[in-house]
Amino acid sequence: MGEPKRYDVVVLGGGANGTGTARDCAMRGLSVLLLEKRDFACGASGASSGMIHGGIRYMLSDRKVTELACRDAGYIRRIAPHLVFRIPFLLPFASRAEEATLAERAAWYATEVYVGTYDLYQPLKGGKPSTRLSAAELYALEPSLRPGLGGAVTLDEWGIDGARLCLLNALSAEAHGAEVRTWTEATELVREEGRAVGVRWRDALTGEHGEARAGAILNATGAWSPRWGHANQVEVPMRPGKGVHLALDRRLSNYGIICKAVDGRQMFVMPHEEESIIGTTDDDFYGDPDDLEATSDEVAYLLEGAESLVPSVRRARLTRAFSGVRTTLYQYGRTEDALSREHQLLDHSVDGAAGLFSFVGGKLASYRAQSQEIADRLVDYLDVSPRPCRTHEEPLPGGERIEDPSELARRHGVPEAVARRIVYRHGSRARELLRLCDEDPRLKLSVCREEGVLAAEVVYLARHEKVRRLEDLRRRCRLAVAGCGGLDCARLAAQLVAHELAWDAEQLRAELHGLLELNWRERRPVLDGWQLAEEELLRAVHRGLGEV
Amino acid sequence: MAEGGAPIACDVLVLGGGMAGATAALAARDAGARVALVCRAPGSTALSGGAVSVAHDPSALPDAALSSRAGVVESARRIAASQLGHPYHVLRDRLDRLFTALEFATGQLSSILAPPSGRNRWLLTPFGKVHPAAACQHSMVAGDLAEVRGVLAVVALRGHLWWDAGLVASGAVRAQALGGPSPRVVPLDLFLWDEAALARPFDLARLLEAPGAAEEAGKMLAKRLPRGAGAALFPPVLGLSAGARVAERIGAAAGIPVAEFLSDLPSVPGLRLQRSIEERLQAAGVLVLRGEVHGAARPGCPVRAGGREVRAHAWVLATGRFVGGGIARRGELLEPALGLPVLASEGPFAEAGAHLATRPPAALTLRDSRSPQPLLSAGLKVDEELRPVDAEGRAVHDRLFAAGAVIGGHDQASDGTGMGVALFTGWLAGRSAAASARTRQLALPGGE
Amino acid sequence: MGRARSLAYLGYRAVLAHPLKRLARKGTGEERFLASYGAEGLGPTTAEELEAAEAASACVSCGLCESACSLAAVTPAVRDLGLHAAFRLYSKSSSSLPAAVGALSVCAECAGCEALCPTGVPISRLVRLFAARAGEGSAPAAPRHALPTRPE
Repeated sequence: MGEPKRYDVVVLGGGANGTGTARDCAMRGLSVLLLEKRDFACGASGASSGMIHGGIRYMLSDRKVTELACRDAGYIRRIAPHLVFRIPFLLPFASRAEEATLAERAAWYATEVYVGTYDLYQPLKGGKPSTRLSAAELYALEPSLRPGLGGAVTLDEWGIDGARLCLLNALSAEAHGAEVRTWTEATELVREEGRAVGVRWRDALTGEHGEARAGAILNATGAWSPRWGHANQVEVPMRPGKGVHLALDRRLSNYGIICKAVDGRQMFVMPHEEESIIGTTDDDFYGDPDDLEATSDEVAYLLEGAESLVPSVRRARLTRAFSGVRTTLYQYGRTEDALSREHQLLDHSVDGAAGLFSFVGGKLASYRAQSQEIADRLVDYLDVSPRPCRTHEEPLPGGERIEDPSELARRHGVPEAVARRIVYRHGSRARELLRLCDEDPRLKLSVCREEGVLAAEVVYLARHEKVRRLEDLRRRCRLAVAGCGGLDCARLAAQLVAHELAWDAEQLRAELHGLLELNWRERRPVLDGWQLAEEELLRAVHRGLGEV
Repeated sequence: MAEGGAPIACDVLVLGGGMAGATAALAARDAGARVALVCRAPGSTALSGGAVSVAHDPSALPDAALSSRAGVVESARRIAASQLGHPYHVLRDRLDRLFTALEFATGQLSSILAPPSGRNRWLLTPFGKVHPAAACQHSMVAGDLAEVRGVLAVVALRGHLWWDAGLVASGAVRAQALGGPSPRVVPLDLFLWDEAALARPFDLARLLEAPGAAEEAGKMLAKRLPRGAGAALFPPVLGLSAGARVAERIGAAAGIPVAEFLSDLPSVPGLRLQRSIEERLQAAGVLVLRGEVHGAARPGCPVRAGGREVRAHAWVLATGRFVGGGIARRGELLEPALGLPVLASEGPFAEAGAHLATRPPAALTLRDSRSPQPLLSAGLKVDEELRPVDAEGRAVHDRLFAAGAVIGGHDQASDGTGMGVALFTGWLAGRSAAASARTRQLALPGGE
Repeated sequence: MGRARSLAYLGYRAVLAHPLKRLARKGTGEERFLASYGAEGLGPTTAEELEAAEAASACVSCGLCESACSLAAVTPAVRDLGLHAAFRLYSKSSSSLPAAVGALSVCAECAGCEALCPTGVPISRLVRLFAARAGEGSAPAAPRHALPTRPE
C-alpha cells in the first residue's frame, strides 16, 4: 500500500444512486473513486420492480413532483432509449356485488379522472395516453382475467433493467475519468479533527488494500448504511423494507395488471423484459441484507394476490423469488406503505464526520434527479465551480444511436431474436460486440437460449463490462437467471470467462459454485412443477458430475 | 401405435422404460415370466452421463477418489450404514446380491456396457472432476484413470467451444499424484468449419458416424499424439449408437485405446444407452407399449397402457422421479400414475410421513445447495420386498413393486447411486414380480 | 403546492376538464388502446397462446428433441439455437416471435422430437402454432415489432 490517492469525491455503493452520482460528478470534472463491495446493483437497485415511472401518486399531494418525475423519466429514456421498454398497465374495476353500486361507479370514475390527469404529463416521457375500457373490451384485451370485472383504466409506464442501468452509469463515469472498483469494500472511514477525510478499502478478490483521501464522501450503500455507519461511529437512521418479487418463466401477457393482495395492498402482475413478474411485498426488515431469501409466507402472499385477478398464475411456472431491501426514511409508528419513497441526504458533521454524506430513501425511477441533487450538494460543500450537470443530455454507453436488429442479424449471421436481445442490452455497442463474431465464428455459439446470449457476448462482457466474477454475468446479461437455471449455459460461460480472466480450473469451479449457489437461494422458495424437474437435472449435472 | 388390438394378459407389467424398468422387465423375463412394459417417453436414463454409478466410498476424501480401496459392494454397505433413508439401507440385508444384479444388467446390455470388475472406474467429467462408476459404456472404458498408463491425451476440438479440454484434464492432474496418468491437451482440427462451430453434440456424433469419419479422426490423432500416450480421451460425441463402434474405430486408426469422457446435457451417451435398452427389450421378447397409462388401479385389474388393455398379475412401478414424471409436485407432492402416497425423503425428513407431501419447498430444502435436499429426495417408501407402503407401513398391494428413482430417500440425481439403485431394485423387483406370478400358477384353480 | 390545492384541481378535472376530453375523443377504448400499442408489438395474448405457453413451460432444456430433428443440422435458423429455442427464446414473449419465422416454418411435422420429450411438451403442435403466429404480423402498414424510437 503506497501513498493514499486523493480524489474530490469518494462514492461508496454501486447501486443507482452511487453510480448515478459518480457519473454526474465525473462529468462535471471532479475526480471520483467509486467503491462497491460486491458488484453493481447487488442491493435494491437490482431487485426492484425495474420501473421508470412518473410518480403518479404524487398528484394527490403535489403535482409539481409528478411533473418533475415524468420529466426525469423522459431524460432517462433519452439517455438510454434501448434499455427502456413500454409496459401498458390495466387497472381493472372489481365490484363486490353483481351490479356495481353508485359509490363504486364513482370510485371508477375518480380513477379514470386521476389517470386521465396524469396524461397531461405523459408527453414529458413519451408515454401513451390512458383509456377507459368497458368490461367487454377489457376481456377482449386480456382474456386471462377472472370474470366479474366491470372494466378498467389503462396507464402507460416504462420498465428498465436496473442492473444494466447501474452498470452503464458506472461505465460512463469511468469514461469521464472516474476510478471504479467492484468487489472492493470501504472497510474504514478515516477521520481527522471532526472531519471525514477518506476511507480505507480492500479488494475482496485480490486482497489488495489501500487508502483514498477525499474532499467529500458519499455513503450510498443503501441497506448496508446502518451497519456501515455503526461500524464507523456515524448514525444513519433508516427503516429498511424488504421487498420480494416472483418471476415466471415467460411473459404471460404484454400488459401489466394491478391487483390487490389479501390485506388490501396494491400489487401487480406485469411483463418485464422476457418474463412476467409478480410483486411486491414491503415489510420492515431487521435482518442481514447480505443474507436475503424469500420466505414461504411471502411467496404464498404474492401468489394469492396475483391469483385474485389472474387465476392462471397458479398453473404458471415460477422460476425464482428475488428479494431486495429498500432504504426507507426512518419514522417510528407508521405502517410500511405510509412511508413514501422520499429521500434525504444526511450530513454527518453532527457525528463529527464533516464531509461524509449518506443518502437514504429514494426510488430507482428518480435516480438521475437524486444523483443531481447529491452532486449539487457535494459541489457546494467542496466549494468548487465545475462544469454544469449534463447527465440528462449525454447518452449512456450504447444510448447514442438506435440499432436495427434485423440488419445486424443479417450482417453478422446471427439469429434475429438474439440480435434483438443484444440490442436491448447494448444499444449502439451491439456492433462492436457482434464484430467479435466476425473475427471468430465459433463465438456465435449460443450460451443462453432464454436470454439470447452468444459466446461473443460473454467474451465482450468479460473484456469491457467490469466482470470480475462469474456471478456478475447474472447482472450483465441475466445468465442462468431464467428457467433453465444454468443447465445450458453455466459451464460454457464459466469456460469463456475463465479464458478471458485467466482463471485456473479450481477457480472456474469455485466461480461456478458461487453462481449456482446464488441461483439456488432464489429458486428454492418456489420449487414446484416443471421447475422442480429442471432442478433435478441441474443437480445431476452440477452436483453429480461437477461436484460444483 | 394403433389404438385397440387384443387385450394382453401377462405375468408382469412394468411401468417405465429406463434403466430400472428395463432391468425389472429383463429380470422377470429371465425368470420365465411373460412381460409387458409401457413407457411414455425417455426419462433420466436418456439424460445420464454415460456411467453406471452404483456407490462410491462415503468415507473417502472427496479429492482422493483414486485412493479409496473399497470396492463397489463395500461402498454400498457403507452408504447403507450411514444413510438411513437410502434404498441401500432398506435393502441392507440383500446387498450381497448387488454385484449379481450389476452383472445381470451389464450382461443384458453387453452391446453397450462393459462388464464390471467389482471396483469403481474413475472417469473424467466435463467439469474436470473424477467420477467413480461401477460400470460404464464400452466407449468410456479406456478413459479409466486407474487403468491408463503413461500420458492421457485429452483431445480439444479446435473448431468447437462447447468443451474445454484443459478443464477436463485438470481432473487428471489431481489424480496423477495417486498413480494416475499425466494429462496432455491435444488440439485436433476436427469440425473446423463454420457450421460445425455451432453444431449440437448430437450432430457432431452423427458426423463421426459417417463412413470414414472415425478413421480420419484416428489418423489425425495419430499425428498429434504425445510421446508415451497410453490413451486418448475425446468429448462425449463418439457416435449416436453403440453399434457404430466409433471409439473402437478411431482407436484402431490411431493405434491407441480411445475413450470419451462423461457428458452433461445434451447427452449423446445418455441417449445411446436408452436406445440400447430399447433394442434389448425387443430382442428379449418383452412386449413394449408406447404411451400413457390410464385407469390404473391395482395389479390384477385391467389397465389401459399405450392404447391396449393389459391385465397383469404383478406390476413394477419404475416411472422415475421428477424428470420422468413418476413423482411430481403440483402444490403438493404426489405420485401421478397410481396415486400412491409420497412418504420417503432423506435426512431429517426420513420419517416425515404423511406431512411430507404438503410442506412448502422452503421447508424441504436446505440453504447450502451442496447438501442433499429433502425435496429432491422425495419418493415412495418401500419395504424390504420393494413394495410401496402406506403411512402405516403396510404394503399397498402384495404384488405391486417399485424400482428406481420413484423410490425416495436419497438425492438420486446427485449422490452417485442413481443407476445402482435403478438396476439393483429393478433386478430384485423383476424377480419378485416374476416369482409372484409363478406362485399364482401353483395356486388352486379358481383362486386368484 | 398543498394537498387542498391538488384535490381542488382534481375536482376541476372531474367535473369539467375530463368530461370535455371524453367528448372530444374518437373511437372506442379498445381501438385507442390498440392504436397506441399495436404498432409496438404489444398485442393482446389470446387464450390459445396462454394454453400454449403453459404447455411450453414444461421444457427443461434437456436437448433430447434436437437429436430427432432431421432439420436441426441443416436449417441455420434451427441449428444456431437448437430446436428447443422455440420454447425457450422465441415463445417467451410474443414480440420475439416474428424473428423466428425462418426457424419455425421449416418444421416437417414428423413429430420425432415429441416422442423423445421427457416432460411431454407437445412440440409439433406448438411449433405449428408459433409459426402461424410468427407469420401473421399485424396490420400490413405497421411492422409487428418496432424498434425503440428516439424520443422527441
